[in-house]
Amino acid sequence: MAALGRASSLLSLLALLLVPAAGAGGARWRGEGTSPHLRSIFLGRCAEYSSLLSPELRDKNCTAIWEAFKVVLDKDPCSVFPSDYELFISLSRHSIPRDKSLFWENNHLLVTSYAENARRFMPLCDVLYGRIGDFLSWCRQENASGLDYRSCPTSEDCENNPVDSYWKMASMQYSRDSTGVIHVMLNGSEPKGAYPVKGFFADFEIPYLQKDKITRIEIWVMHEIGRPKVESCGEGSVKILEERLEKMGFQYRCINDHLPVKLLMCVDHSTHPDCALNSTCGCGGSPVLLH
Amino acid sequence: MADHRFRPVSGEKPCCDISKKARICLCVVFGLLVVVIIAVVVGIVMWRQPPQHQEWKGAGTTAHFYEIILGRCYTYTQIVRPELGHKDCQKIGKAFTNAFLSKDPCGSTEQDYQPLMELTNQTVPCDKTLLWSKTNELVHEYAWVQRELFTLENTLLGYMGDGLRWCGDLGSSEMNYQSCPDRRKDCSNNSVSVFWNTVSKRFAEDACGVVHVLLNGSVHNTFDERSTFARVEVFNLHPEKVHTLQAWVMQDIRNISSDSCSDASIKNLKLILSKRNITFTCEDNYRPIRFLQCVKYPEHSSCRSKI
Repeated sequence: MAALGRASSLLSLLALLLVPAAGAGGARWRGEGTSPHLRSIFLGRCAEYSSLLSPELRDKNCTAIWEAFKVVLDKDPCSVFPSDYELFISLSRHSIPRDKSLFWENNHLLVTSYAENARRFMPLCDVLYGRIGDFLSWCRQENASGLDYRSCPTSEDCENNPVDSYWKMASMQYSRDSTGVIHVMLNGSEPKGAYPVKGFFADFEIPYLQKDKITRIEIWVMHEIGRPKVESCGEGSVKILEERLEKMGFQYRCINDHLPVKLLMCVDHSTHPDCALNSTCGCGGSPVLLH
Repeated sequence: MADHRFRPVSGEKPCCDISKKARICLCVVFGLLVVVIIAVVVGIVMWRQPPQHQEWKGAGTTAHFYEIILGRCYTYTQIVRPELGHKDCQKIGKAFTNAFLSKDPCGSTEQDYQPLMELTNQTVPCDKTLLWSKTNELVHEYAWVQRELFTLENTLLGYMGDGLRWCGDLGSSEMNYQSCPDRRKDCSNNSVSVFWNTVSKRFAEDACGVVHVLLNGSVHNTFDERSTFARVEVFNLHPEKVHTLQAWVMQDIRNISSDSCSDASIKNLKLILSKRNITFTCEDNYRPIRFLQCVKYPEHSSCRSKI
């Protein structure tokens, strides 16, 4: 089975959530077409990130970063390789605070909420080159110049497509720049297994972790409230991950349902028995009607 | 002192075969040329120098302001709320800057923002409006998780302007990146404050059904009559459309004191609303948001659970 492209799974999740099902009849590829106004969104996000979120990145030249990125928009959509993004990455990369790296599989929205806009943690989507491309899609038309706004290839169409290659390159760089304690959040309720043996984390992140700069790896296996616990620490694919890390010589620790993240999940399920709080909660009962 | 008298040195021929008169003429022309060049250079330098902006006590326009609002407009209308995909972000961006460029930054009015308001009309579903006061971080964390709720910053205009600063100047068509008026120290009718008052007013006017507000039970003035919530939003709720305002009063988890719904300022809010025929309900430490606070302090006794 083809590897679950993180970008494709991201976009299909988003499509389910936000975009009404469009009749894709006749579209060449399986993935979302190029995002309209790609350049404006790209430049806006770059400017915002460097001006507001990380003022120490004020010297980042967003125009140059765009120029470096856009070379892929002229290439055959099935011949775009991670190395095509080398200049883009070298212009947009920046340091990641120690102990703040957060890797994940199958829980994008939860990770974004928990990361708190890079205040608590800095997952890939809170790094400049991750923020710029988040939820976007792009590709040239197959047999003509100009962008294809109808559809773009996913990993099922062809391996070397623009979006997957971008995230492969971004993932590798993110791994290389991660230091201190590394955190990984996995979804223990995912029927296919918490740790995809072929996936971005497995293929483009773990291999690029810098052993001499990492103290240990902390794995959080989160289970969705009210959903089955398919896998936990020491089980199934999680066990495969643990063994792999051990073999690579990493110190690691695995925690089921890491409490702060669990509490975050409970925001949405406050009345579920799994989220029952102590009686010292001090929470209000039914709303008081004041006249 | 050198001897200025011209004395031909024996054996030396004169430099060029030009008469003395011609030489003087050339020097004059050359001298004039130098003066002209200097004048032109000075003129260009002065012309290109940006006109001096007024100096204010607040931070200046956010760097790359226009690129940021344009990018946000497209992100919002294409990705966050694609049902607004028909909005013209170029027009919206221009209307935004036209509201304050070349204008007195202390003389901003609602009218300045009217063209922008017209282009960014947006309906928020009933029962989904979430107001807030002194709970900036918490309310937006909550709205991120509960995506069907809208704070002002989850509407198109609020999303565009969030966290930014902007102002222009009467004598210039440029944005003032050095400084902008501070609300307290300079003037209250500044471009940014008037923007937020204008959009807050519309946000309240458009609300319907049950409106929620997240208040801070750990500050002195939980319901603050000087806040935008009090001055603008409460007064612009339409009683024919909004039948209830429900307050969630959250206290700092590390310092939970008495019931904050019976706080004096809350009673004041209740009074104001009853005069406007809007029912007021209040809930202390609303449980879902308590969970959100617990994420920061998971070991606190209020956060102990059977998880």
